[in-house]
Amino acid sequence: MTLQWSGEQVVAKLQDVQASAMALDCLGEWAALAGRRAITMVNLKKPKEKPIKSPRQSKWDVSCVQWNPISSHAHLFVTAYNQRLDLCSWKDSNISHICSMKGHSRTVSDVGWNPFDVNVVASCSVDSFINLWDIRDPKKPSQSFQTVSGAYQVKWNKVTSNMFATTHEGELRIWDIRKGKTMPSHYIAAHLSKIHGLDWSPNSDSELATCSQDCTVKFWDIKNTRQCKGSLSPGSPVWRARYTPFGQNIVTVVVPQQLRRGDNSLHLWSTSRNNPIYQFVGHQDVILEFQWRKQQEGSRDHQLVTWSKDQSLRIWNIDPHLQKRCGHDLGDINDSSENESGQTGRDSISQDSVQDKSFKENDLGNGDLQRQMSMSPEGVLFQQPQTLQQEFDLMNTNISNVQVEEMDAASRSCRVLAVSGNFSVGLRMLFPENYPYTEPPTFEFLDPNLNSSIKHKLHKVLLDTASMHVRRNTSCLEPCLRQLSQALNQPWNLPTEERRTPETETARPFTLVGPPNKPQYLSWHSASGLQDINIPFPRTSGAKFCAAGYLVVFGRSHEARKGPSWAEVTPKSLCDLTDFASKSRFRNPQKFFNNFSISPPTPAPENVSVSSWYLRTTVSNQPKGKRKSRPAEVPEIKPVLAPVKIFDSACLLPIHKDLGKKYIIDRSNIQAMCSHNASAAGAVGRKDLVQLWSMVGISASQKLKPSDDPDDGPPWAQHPFGKEMIKYLFDYYMKIHDVQTLAMLVCVFWNREDAIVQPPKKEKALPQSTSMDYVPHNYSPYHTVTSGSNLLKSFKTLTGHLQGQSSRPPPTTTVQSRPSQHHLSEVSSHPDLVAMTVGVLKIRRSNSLSCLEDSFEDYKIEDEDGIKEKENERLAKLHESNCRLLDPNAQNQYDVFLKSYADILYHWGFTNNAKLVLKFLTHLPEPHTGIEFGVRCYHCRQEGRGAKCGSCKSLAFNCSICHIGVKGNSIFCLRCGHGGHTTHMIDWFKENKECPTGCSCKCVEAKSEITM
Amino acid sequence: MVSVINSIDTSHEDMIHDAQLDYYGTKLATCSSDRSIKIFDVKGGQQTLITELRGHDGPVWQLAWAHPMFGNLIASCSYDRKVIIWKETNGSWGKLYEYQNHDSSVNSVNFAPHEFGLLLACGSSDGSISIISSTGDGTWDAKKIPNAHSIGCNAVSWAPPINPGDLLDPSGRHQPIKQLVSGGCDNLVKIWKEEDGQWKEDQKLEGHSDWVRDVAWAPSIGLPKSIIASCSQVCIGLPKSIIASCSQDLRVIIWTNDGNGWTQKVLNKFNDVIWHLSWSITGNILATSGGDNKVSLWKETLNGNWVCISDVNKGQGQISDGQRSLS
Repeated sequence: MTLQWSGEQVVAKLQDVQASAMALDCLGEWAALAGRRAITMVNLKKPKEKPIKSPRQSKWDVSCVQWNPISSHAHLFVTAYNQRLDLCSWKDSNISHICSMKGHSRTVSDVGWNPFDVNVVASCSVDSFINLWDIRDPKKPSQSFQTVSGAYQVKWNKVTSNMFATTHEGELRIWDIRKGKTMPSHYIAAHLSKIHGLDWSPNSDSELATCSQDCTVKFWDIKNTRQCKGSLSPGSPVWRARYTPFGQNIVTVVVPQQLRRGDNSLHLWSTSRNNPIYQFVGHQDVILEFQWRKQQEGSRDHQLVTWSKDQSLRIWNIDPHLQKRCGHDLGDINDSSENESGQTGRDSISQDSVQDKSFKENDLGNGDLQRQMSMSPEGVLFQQPQTLQQEFDLMNTNISNVQVEEMDAASRSCRVLAVSGNFSVGLRMLFPENYPYTEPPTFEFLDPNLNSSIKHKLHKVLLDTASMHVRRNTSCLEPCLRQLSQALNQPWNLPTEERRTPETETARPFTLVGPPNKPQYLSWHSASGLQDINIPFPRTSGAKFCAAGYLVVFGRSHEARKGPSWAEVTPKSLCDLTDFASKSRFRNPQKFFNNFSISPPTPAPENVSVSSWYLRTTVSNQPKGKRKSRPAEVPEIKPVLAPVKIFDSACLLPIHKDLGKKYIIDRSNIQAMCSHNASAAGAVGRKDLVQLWSMVGISASQKLKPSDDPDDGPPWAQHPFGKEMIKYLFDYYMKIHDVQTLAMLVCVFWNREDAIVQPPKKEKALPQSTSMDYVPHNYSPYHTVTSGSNLLKSFKTLTGHLQGQSSRPPPTTTVQSRPSQHHLSEVSSHPDLVAMTVGVLKIRRSNSLSCLEDSFEDYKIEDEDGIKEKENERLAKLHESNCRLLDPNAQNQYDVFLKSYADILYHWGFTNNAKLVLKFLTHLPEPHTGIEFGVRCYHCRQEGRGAKCGSCKSLAFNCSICHIGVKGNSIFCLRCGHGGHTTHMIDWFKENKECPTGCSCKCVEAKSEITM
Repeated sequence: MVSVINSIDTSHEDMIHDAQLDYYGTKLATCSSDRSIKIFDVKGGQQTLITELRGHDGPVWQLAWAHPMFGNLIASCSYDRKVIIWKETNGSWGKLYEYQNHDSSVNSVNFAPHEFGLLLACGSSDGSISIISSTGDGTWDAKKIPNAHSIGCNAVSWAPPINPGDLLDPSGRHQPIKQLVSGGCDNLVKIWKEEDGQWKEDQKLEGHSDWVRDVAWAPSIGLPKSIIASCSQVCIGLPKSIIASCSQDLRVIIWTNDGNGWTQKVLNKFNDVIWHLSWSITGNILATSGGDNKVSLWKETLNGNWVCISDVNKGQGQISDGQRSLS
């Protein structure tokens, strides 16, 4: 379908010119042809005239020539040869050499003028450096960028300044000159083999095209570097691919070394079609270089200048008609054929709005042509295609070894060609109507000569993959093809093939090399580079705090502490390792083999491990003779690893294991507890804790115990050394993260009874069995009087009344509070009262002088018994809260302290101490809801739970040794149900195997039979 | 002085990528590029190899021990896109569960606080995070956060099971919210929250200029921010949430939330990439380690600054303790 095009062109035969590079100046006047012997200038206005030749004396060929792209400096051009750049000026038909720029250590592969800065030129070289030069100071590069692999092309962004792209074998790096010198701003693993050419879109600052030895041209948007925006497949390695200055097209040329007779032409492609639109026919040999000539103002024509190995320079004119055929609409030209194609486009849009116009056009017009355009926009990734057509469209056809030859949604079939090293397989897939729901596609091998065992294996792989996906109603075309590609990579004759399991859903990225019993290294190479780029460079050292107080440190050995000398920092991504490996292999394969084989069988060269990154330096430091003298020695890999060390970091932590063990919690004798704990703290050298414990002892002493009577003076808690100091202590120990001390303080000072209880929900108001649940007066150590208690003298009698009331049975109290319900409307704004009316009398407020005044008013106005009672209750509570040393508002925090400390105690293995600490929790953990063993009461034979029988109230479970009911820990046999006190049973079964009751059950063995 | 209490020669054939002690500090697990996981008994200074677990087809990147209430369980993740949970039964180790629903290398695994049950988060280079949970009857459920980090997820870390707001509100019991933090190649640190069984993005923390290599949510021991309010009443603030993140941009950032949003503070800019962070159990010391094979420990001073208290010198195996005057 490709139109051949040989019209309107100018041919200049330059038989005596030997040039390897060509460049057009930015004014479109001159073409510079640079070769080893001379630089030839061709006047493009008069191409038939004799060109002007300037001989040069060099034994190096010119690898690249570039004119300054800014018209004010259009006379300047730079040539690159060997390791240097020459800046020359072209004036008055004379080339004058201005300066040389030398900085690379290997051949310069490409140069590029910054299109926005007249003085800046970039050069790249296989020495892995990209240098920026300021031509005013040519002595050294103004900036230098380093990579791990050699650079072949450097191209500046045509839209924004500061950005350029370089190619490195199959990868693409985008650099921002304002950013770091070692890290590209973007990294694209673009092609599977070497990238020959690179071009930025003239219209967008983020789009670019690459072409490669792998016979594809790919389009990229650096905003999404993961996937290419599209691709073209010219079918042979592509030397250069450049955007056209008009429309969305691209011109490609095949690799010059590829001596393919009859295909020396340039092809013009639409970026969205997969077949060339036009072919430029004329050159007798391969085209070495082509460039767009700058057009005069107002001209609609575009001119393409080509230089070929046949030593002819051609100028191709592309008039607006032809531009329009390429899809570039100039607006005022009418052409019947254009209307036709436009019509098809519209049709397709109406047919299927999801599809791109170009897709459909392609389908209709060139049904037999292979469709290689693949678009996988971001976001589609997780989207399930709805129809087969969509699946075809969304499929990423970039699968190694597999070529999609035909996809036809109408006949629901797809034909692919899979190529492996020595054979190729044609495969036809038929998709049933119901696919992808319930029915997998059928597979049919088109090649009759295929070895039946291979065929069988491939078929099995495909069918397994397909049915697994279809089972989940997901589409399977791409996974199947990837699986096929993987399967073809598989060395079928190796035993490792057995490792392929059908349930492996995703493609196995590894090929195992060598017998499986030998240590094998992962082949990074066989895994797709597209993925490795996202994987961070592996950690090879680390430090972790583990358990309670241990620090585990692992790392590399002293010899392997540094990476290659030229790498300043550890690389970012795993693919850098691959680069590195390929590079070092390239440079010195022998060395590579010696060091990375860890056992005599030679591993495949692509087997790379992380160790190689670090080992290389050590090897290069060793004298070579020494290594040669012991060739038989198996190279050791061990020195790479330092032993894993476990440190005891306890001294860095504010907590102490010894204290965790020695601390006692005994609320019944706080004095003894404090002195014991103080001496324990002294033993571990925590002087501050010695002081703390003696102070706690004093604070908690009987002398400071608050009186029940508010008139006995302010309680200790109100003293500056009371509540305030405890708060200060908490603050301090929180700052140093001493959760151990915090939890212990909570254990000493916190009463769960002080907790604020959530008022029950409304429907639960006035429950039948509300209990007063008062703290016993002699229990709480801090009952004293508020500071404002003098004011309350007149209520003394009422306080007495309250005390009397508190001893009443709870239901009565509930009834008592009922008459006051009609006051609710006035006082319900006070939370205490609300809480009280619903029968919960535990709400306390810490400081309430203002409440106090309120209550006076209340009292004056509401001169009723009920109110008096309320008042009394509240005052009593106020008093109680004033006596408290800890703020109940922080009760949840106290729980966290206790839980954290208990967790640490568990880590240390002090289970009993942890349980003791957890007893002080305000919110007890949810009751156990798992399996529980019921107990049949020994006395009344009723089934029940827990230690006590529900019906006869006696201890339900009798110990079969001592015949006394068991209250605490018990153990029993799951088979015969007999048991008793844990200690008794342990003693018994130390010597016996059978049940102590004589039921002849072998309890010890029974254990293993019960499974849960 | 911090002293070496054990030194284990693991005999791995290639680089070690992770080493972890179990809950009680008696078993050491290591994983390596040689595709194996080794478990050593290190109780009382011994170093006996208990078992060598093989099952991964690629380098094993990270390990995580489960809380002992679930038994002896260890999870591992690998370049081969698999996550394997291993279990000890009657002294022998074997695979309990294998999860293979990732499309690229799985870089990080982490068990949730035991309060949430047996729950494992995995971050993968395919950009997604999986949350695998045991239903208790031997089957496993998996929830996936697709496209959590656009290029790849490098690390996941669970929040402690204490809710912000719990300490403020003294009323009753709270159902703790499951939260986790992740870091990825999009240079972001993201906080995820489970609401009604669905994982949703809660916060997006921007501060790094390159890939985030590791994130670590500091353990909470119930530390609040105390404010003395004007009514001279002590207000207990929200608990501080602290996250540390490290990135390819060579910086470590401490993210703090005291209830008024997340604030960031750059801990330090290092000379090489920092790729691992670990908090001490009390949350006051942060261990950083990176590409230069060095370990440094950082501690928050009383006035809120972070100071480096030591560099662990591998050669001597000692930590010189600079700041021991606090107590």
